Formats: sequence, structure tokens, C-alpha cells
Amino acid sequence: PTRQSSQSRNAILVSHRQKGNPVLKFIRNVRWAFADVICDYLLGQNACALYLSLRYHLLHPDYLYYRIREIQKNYKLRVVLCHVDVEDVVKPLLEVTKTALLHDCTLLCAWSLEECARYLETIKMYENKPADLIQGQMDTDYLSRLNHALTTVRHVNKTDVVTLGSTFGSLSNILDASMEDLARCPGIGERKVNRLYDTFHEPFKRVN
Amino acid sequence: MVAGFCKTERIMKSLYIRKLHLWPRFHVYVSEELERHAPEVVDVRVPMTKHMMGIQKAIMEVMDACLKEMRKTNKVDVEDLTVENGLFKSFDEIVRKQLDPIWHTLGKKTKQLVSDLKTLRKLLDYLVRYDAVSYLKYLDTLRVSESFRSVWIFAESSYKIFDFAKRRVYRLARSNDVRLNGQEKSPSGRKRKVHNNDGNEEAADGASTSSANSRVILEEVMEEAPKWKVLREILKEIEEGSKKDASLIEDVAKRDKVDNGIVLVVCKDERSCMQLEDCITQGSQQVLQDEWRKYLLSKVELREFQTPQKKKSKTKEPKGFGILDGVVPVTNAQNAEASSTNKQEHDALLTAASDIRNLYTKDSVAGLEFHHLVSKESQKRRGKGIKEKGLANTLKSGTKDNSGDLVMEKSEETGICGSENKKQVDGMNRVAADIHTEDNSILVSAGKGFLLRHVRDPDSVQPGTAKQMPQVHFYALDSDRPILDILMPSVIIVYHPDMRFVREIEVYKSENPSLKLKVYFLFYEDSTEVQKFEASIRRENGAFESLIRQKSMMIIPVNQNGHCLGMNSFMELQASSSQNSITRKAGGRKEVEKEMQVIVDMREFMSSLPNVLHQKGMRIIPVTLEVGDYILSPLICVERKSIQDLFMSFTSGRLYHQVETMVRYYRIPVLLIEFSQDKSFSFQSASDIGDDVTPNSIISKLSLLALHFPRLRIIWSRSLHATAEIFASLKANQEEPDEAKAVRVGVPSEDGIVENDVRAENYNTSAVEFLRRLPGVTDSNYRAIMDGCNSLAELALLPVEKLAELMGGQKAARTLRDFLDAKYPTLL
Repeated sequence: PTRQSSQSRNAILVSHRQKGNPVLKFIRNVRWAFADVICDYLLGQNACALYLSLRYHLLHPDYLYYRIREIQKNYKLRVVLCHVDVEDVVKPLLEVTKTALLHDCTLLCAWSLEECARYLETIKMYENKPADLIQGQMDTDYLSRLNHALTTVRHVNKTDVVTLGSTFGSLSNILDASMEDLARCPGIGERKVNRLYDTFHEPFKRVN
Repeated sequence: MVAGFCKTERIMKSLYIRKLHLWPRFHVYVSEELERHAPEVVDVRVPMTKHMMGIQKAIMEVMDACLKEMRKTNKVDVEDLTVENGLFKSFDEIVRKQLDPIWHTLGKKTKQLVSDLKTLRKLLDYLVRYDAVSYLKYLDTLRVSESFRSVWIFAESSYKIFDFAKRRVYRLARSNDVRLNGQEKSPSGRKRKVHNNDGNEEAADGASTSSANSRVILEEVMEEAPKWKVLREILKEIEEGSKKDASLIEDVAKRDKVDNGIVLVVCKDERSCMQLEDCITQGSQQVLQDEWRKYLLSKVELREFQTPQKKKSKTKEPKGFGILDGVVPVTNAQNAEASSTNKQEHDALLTAASDIRNLYTKDSVAGLEFHHLVSKESQKRRGKGIKEKGLANTLKSGTKDNSGDLVMEKSEETGICGSENKKQVDGMNRVAADIHTEDNSILVSAGKGFLLRHVRDPDSVQPGTAKQMPQVHFYALDSDRPILDILMPSVIIVYHPDMRFVREIEVYKSENPSLKLKVYFLFYEDSTEVQKFEASIRRENGAFESLIRQKSMMIIPVNQNGHCLGMNSFMELQASSSQNSITRKAGGRKEVEKEMQVIVDMREFMSSLPNVLHQKGMRIIPVTLEVGDYILSPLICVERKSIQDLFMSFTSGRLYHQVETMVRYYRIPVLLIEFSQDKSFSFQSASDIGDDVTPNSIISKLSLLALHFPRLRIIWSRSLHATAEIFASLKANQEEPDEAKAVRVGVPSEDGIVENDVRAENYNTSAVEFLRRLPGVTDSNYRAIMDGCNSLAELALLPVEKLAELMGGQKAARTLRDFLDAKYPTLL
């Protein structure tokens, strides 16, 4: 067991059941090895994955349920990696979704073998990664923040932000600008003028 | 109407119309009718300047290159991808229509190409619309904002665009071979000298010899748009013409009827209207000077912004300019660089800018006095005017007012040479009553109230003279108003040709056959403007032809007339109920004893999912939810994301926080990823996945989300309808959700949850989103801010104390206030 744990730290452990699965060919960024595991892919101490091809599911609709039962609740993250390889997805996907959801599995869909492999690699590699990446730690410098705010107005792009900024000098001046002043900015047409003006001057809440 | 298969047919069917009449322009009756009273047309071809041609050529080249690149991607039908088509706005639509279904699977480069083409088209358009300085300014902003993403900016020809654009405005020359040309006499011919290094001994003690003698001089070229000149000439011509007329016809009233002398100048947009107006009233050089001044001031900012990482910005301390009066201090370190023209150009520009700033401050002192005089005077005059004529001039904006008055002041000066101001005022008051059009700015409020229309006839200000200068109106095509019928102009100058407006003129003319109408068209010779105009006529013809062809083959059911509204709705009812029974069976349940309930967040009603759920026979309970979008059961809470939303809210971090709260409050938190029916069901094509695990890929983000929230369930839905089915099947064995409880979940304040139905109002969503993105504003205080002030414009004016009160904290308030007031990065 000690040998296995040291090995499992940096590699994906693949069940012997997965022998011959073409997905394995595409796992290139992470090492992997066959091992005696109940789940299909052991991605870390708390994470495991089951591989399911939708085509297979159509032939064996109960397979997923039994597999989920088998791996029990030993892992915090139990992924059902669903390879969408049929055209008419709605019905089989509905069944898979329901099974996964009601049995505490996280469903991930992939449309190609490469994508399947990439999910496995990524989950393995990001095992201990903090969530900064998706927490939206956007740049806190003035320009990025200004961009971030002004581009909420539809059709306003970064060029326009530069134009507005250099024309009016500060955000409060921009907010206070008249329609005419806005229209005088190069590149800002009638439509954008109206959108900007409405955003700034219409009340937050429109009382019906 | 032409685009798309059987479009007309379908429209007619759904409107229950059986007859289609087509009246193309080339129809015999139509052309006969219109040409019977054809207006007098003068076609003026204005040659473009050398540089404009150069820019145009370069843009076309780049465009062509982009199109070729696009063809290579093999993702679009190449047939429609020609440079000519590229000139039209609808080109974007063609491309988008083709690419939309696979849009999110496209590579970065293709997307960039699409937007580049759009940018290029704009550039072409602006080339003929904007003056030289504005154009350069726009290019500069483009360069700053797009430099790292765009493909086209790095293309070979695009260098030419920038170069030519620059040369239209200024030119760099060495002081040794200064050419003394005729520009010296014009106000724009001023030369600004830059003592590159030896000018300032203190700063450059060890002055290098390499560029000791070279002084770079910035010459302003200020190429005015050729059309401006032509426009002035035409106006003059008209004026002279009308003078002759005026001597013939004594009766003013009669003249007003037949030929009211109104000149209408038609431009593309509001902006060019304003500029042209200034141009005529103040002289084009003055306009360019103003633009140039503004440009230089902002230029400094841009440059700074563009090269923030370079050390040299340190030596250029903002204060330095004021003290040194335009001499740029150059240190040793910079001497090495100084030889590069780029650097010199940069310096020259900076110096010019600071020069102008100094000049400006001086000028403004002097100018203020003059201005004071004028405005005082005009106020007096206006005051009289209001009393006498009851004109509602109050609506006019202040700036407009002043410029208008300045104009009058000018024309008076030229008109009555040597007369004193006092006298003028008197004279003004005297004539105020009998001049109808004087300072009579017609305010045609276009629903928004900012589109001002100036009627200007400076010459009529002169007391006693019968000389009547034509009134000039400016009209922006974009504003879409029946200007012709309101103003009844007798001369129309089409500054920016537009096919639709030509048709309008034709109709107007034939409606008023007695009116004398002269139409001038201003084209740039050999320009894309002409190409575009001609192409649009071709397209019009083509469209009609294809409509005629379609009409001959159209199949319209005979019994169309039989449908009435009542029957129709009855059928729909039947259809929906039968649909329901089918889906219920498909859902796997034998009988639905109790109606299913879904609690839906108010904001979700923008999408049609609630509608579809309702169709499926579920009861929709609309409330405002703090957590989640749909509550299916006491356990299941769903956050719905369309693909675009998903990508966006990953980047903004919003999704993370939404999931975080869902996980906190519900047993089964669900992220619903909803694809749209007409787009492909996948994130990206296999070839776009790449070889490495990259942090920006959606796969990485989703994996990370799953790792951090192992309890989060993900639903992948093919379409709205699939979502509805999934919801139904998930609810099958679950209890119904509790409305009152769902509403309370996650609401921050403990005291008094005021969630009554008044919450049902709409929000100004973009304003709310804007607000939430401001620093200092958080999920917990943005509601309070919205309660405390009405709009963003109002927010911008609130003092810190008030903000602190609303935001519940000094620090947050300070942050927000500082952000609002922060000076946009600049050197000055």
C-alpha cells in the first residue's frame, strides 16, 4: 500500500476495466498507471471518475447506476465523465443527468476523446490548486476597473473607454456628460450615445 | 426581406395577407411619376487628397488580407466575402449568421478577424466623415486599446494608414532645412520648436554630440476635409443666387411660400452635423485648431498610457512642463534614444502639447474677457428676445448657446465694420422684432431632447438691409425624422450620400411639384464612398428583382382569409394541451395528481425558460431570489447559465460566489449549463483543445469549480425544452418548494425582510450591473445604494458622507468616491 500511495500521488490510477479505452492515448500531460481500483480513474485522494460513453449507455442503461453504487461514498468528488458520442443526446443525457444528480455525482460532458482526457488531466493537476482562477481576481488597477465597469453597457468596447476617459477626464465626468458631449466623441455613434445615456440617467429601478 | 429562404412568403402567411404589390424604382409608372418633377441635381465630385487616397488604399489592402485570412479558416462561405461587401454593415451580419452556430467553438484568431474587419470598415467610413485630427485621434485610441489583440494592426499596410493619417495633421522637419511655405500666414502655420537637448543646460550637463545640432520641428499641416471647402463654396453660390432672387421678388411672404431659401445639409450623424456647423461658422482652420489642441492634450495621456513600463516616463514629470515652458528636459540616458525619429516625434508632440497648454491658459485669460463681453451682450439680447417673442430658448444647452452667439458676433463684426459694441446691442434690440429667424434655434426634440437644430442666418442680423442669407439646417441621417416635410427645404446638400435619403428626396419632390428644389451631391472621387453608394443602388435593384422572382413562385394558401383570431387561439390551446399530455407521459409518470411548482427568480423572466416550464404544465411562482435562479424542491436550487454567461461569469468570478452561496444554503446545488438549440452542442472542437492544460480554458475552469465544490451538481442541457424535461424528471420524487422560505434564503439583513410584490418592478439592468462593478460596491451594499439614489449620474454627484451612509462604511465610500473622481491617466 505504501508503494501504491507514493505512486498515486503524481499519477492517475486507471482501473483494468479501462484497458483499450482510446481516451488513455490522449492522457499526455499526466502520468497514469493501471491499478486495482474500483472506480475507473482515481484522480487523487478525494477524487475519482467514472467514464461513460453515451453510446454505451444506450445499450446498457443500468450500467451507470451499478457503477456508482460500487464506488460508494468514499470520495468527496465523484465525477461521471460522459463522452457525448451520439447525435440524439436529449433522452440519454436526461437519464444520465438524473442518475448522476440523485446519486451525488458531478457530471462532466465532453465531446471528444481529447476533451475527456483533458478533464482527467486537469482534475489531477489542479488537485491542490486554489480557486483564484475562477474567483475573478480581476486586475485592480484603475484602467481595468474602468474598463470592467464601462463595458457593461452594451456595444461599448475598450477603444470607447479610452476615448471616453481621455475626453472627459474622470468617471464622474463621464457619468455626468450630456448626450451632445457623448456624441462628439469619435467612434461613439447614436446608438452607443443612447445606451450610455440611458444607463447613466435612467433610474436603477423602473417603477411600473 | 430578401435574405433568407421564403422569407416574404412566411411573413405573408403569418400575417394572413394574400396579395403582394411590388413597386420597384425601375417600374415604368414609378420612374415616370418621379421623374416628371425631377429636382435639379448637381453632382459634385470632390477629389480626395493624396493622403486620404493613401489611407484608403492601405485600408483596402489590409481588408483584403483579412478576408483572405478568413477564407483560410474554412469556416465561412467565401462567396459573399468580397471587399465590396465588406463595405456594408450587413457584411457583419452575413458573417455572424454563418458563424453564430459555431461561434463559441471558434478560435481566437477567427474571432479577432471578424472584429478586425468591422474595425476596418469603420475606419474607411470615418475617413470620409471625420476631419483629419479626429481621425488620427481615433486611430490612436484604437492602437492603444487594440494593440495586443489585433491582427490587422501588425499588417504591413496598416503602417501606412497610421503614417498617412499623421501626415495629414503634422509633419516633422529638421530645423536646418525648414521650408518657409505659405502656411506661415494661416493661423495653423505656427511652428513649434523643440530644443532637443542642448536647449536645457541644467538637465543635460554632459550633452552628447550626436544630435547636438538637430532640432526637431513640428509643422502643423492641418489638412482640411476637401468637402468642407466645397460646401462653403456651394453655400456661397446659393447665397449669391438667392440675393439675385431676392431683388426680383419683393414680397417676403410670397417668397417664403415658393422658395423659403432653406438649405438643408444632410450628414450621416449628429457629430458631423455639429462639426460642419462649427466649420462654416468659425472657419475650418479654427475647428481643426480646436481639435488639434484637444488632440495634443489627450495625446500626452495616451503616450503615457501606452508606454507605462518604459523608464523614461519618470523623467517627464508632469510639473516639468509648466515650469520649463515647453522645453523638454533630456537627460543623458535619453540621448541615446533621442536619435530615433520616434522619440523625437514623441518629444515634439509633447512640447507642442505643453506649448498649447501654456498658450491656452494665456489665451483663455484674454479670451475670457472677449467672451464675457459677448455673453453679456447676448444675454441682454436674448432677454429681450424672450420677452418679445416668447421664445423658449431655455432648453438650449449652454455651450451651444455660446457658440451660436459667437458666430453672430463675428458676422456682425464683418458686416458692420467699425461699429461699436454698444451700438450693435441697440441695433440688435431694434431689429429683434422684425427678424424672424434670428437666433431662433428651432428645437426639434427627438424624444431625447438633445438634438438641437440650429437655424443660422447671420446676415439677417444687420439692421435695415434686405440681404437674406439662406438659412442652413443640418440634419443627421441617423436621427430618422421626416425632416423634409417639416422644413420644406429648397436646396439640399447631401454631404454624405445615402440611398434611402435619395428616395426620400424623390418622393418629397414629387409630392411638392411646385417647389423649386436643387440637390447637391458631394462625393469624394474614386472613394469607397462612391463605391458604396453605387453598390447600394445595385443592391436595391437586385433585391427587387429577387422579390419579383419570388412572387411569381410564391405559394399562398387560399383559405388564408378564413383565419380569424378566435379560431387561431383555440387551435393553439388544443395544441398546447395535447403537447402537455405527451410530455407528461414521456416524463415517466402515469398521472399528475398535483400541479408541479417551480419558484423562479424575477430576473429570469428575461429568458424564455419560465415560459417553457409553464407550457409543460408547471406552476411558476415568481419571486426575487437572493440565491439561485430556480428552486425545484426544498433541496434543489438551480443556477442557470447560458454558454455566454458561463464564460463571462467565470471571468468575473461571479459564478464562484453564486455557487458558494448555493452550496451554503441548499442540499443539492445545481449549475445548469444551457446550450442554445441552434448552436452546436459542445464547447470547442477537438482541434482547438490544444496540447497543454492551460488555466484559461473552460475545461480548467470547470474542473477547478468541481474540485472546489464537490457537492455541486452540473446539468448539461441541449436546449430550453430539454431543460424543462430535466426539471420535470428531477422534481418527480421531490417535495414541492416552499416559496416563503426560498425568498428568505441568503437575504443579508435580518431585520424586516421587505419582500413584498413591489419588488416586481424591472431594473435598469445595465445600470445595476455597472454599479456592482464599481470598487467599494459589494453584494451586500448595492441594494442600499440603489435605494438611496436614483441613477448613476446621481451617484456620481454624492459626497462621501452620503455615500458612507448608504454603503455602510467610510472605507467603501472613500474607495468609490476616489474611483469616481480619479483623473484619467495623464501627464498634465
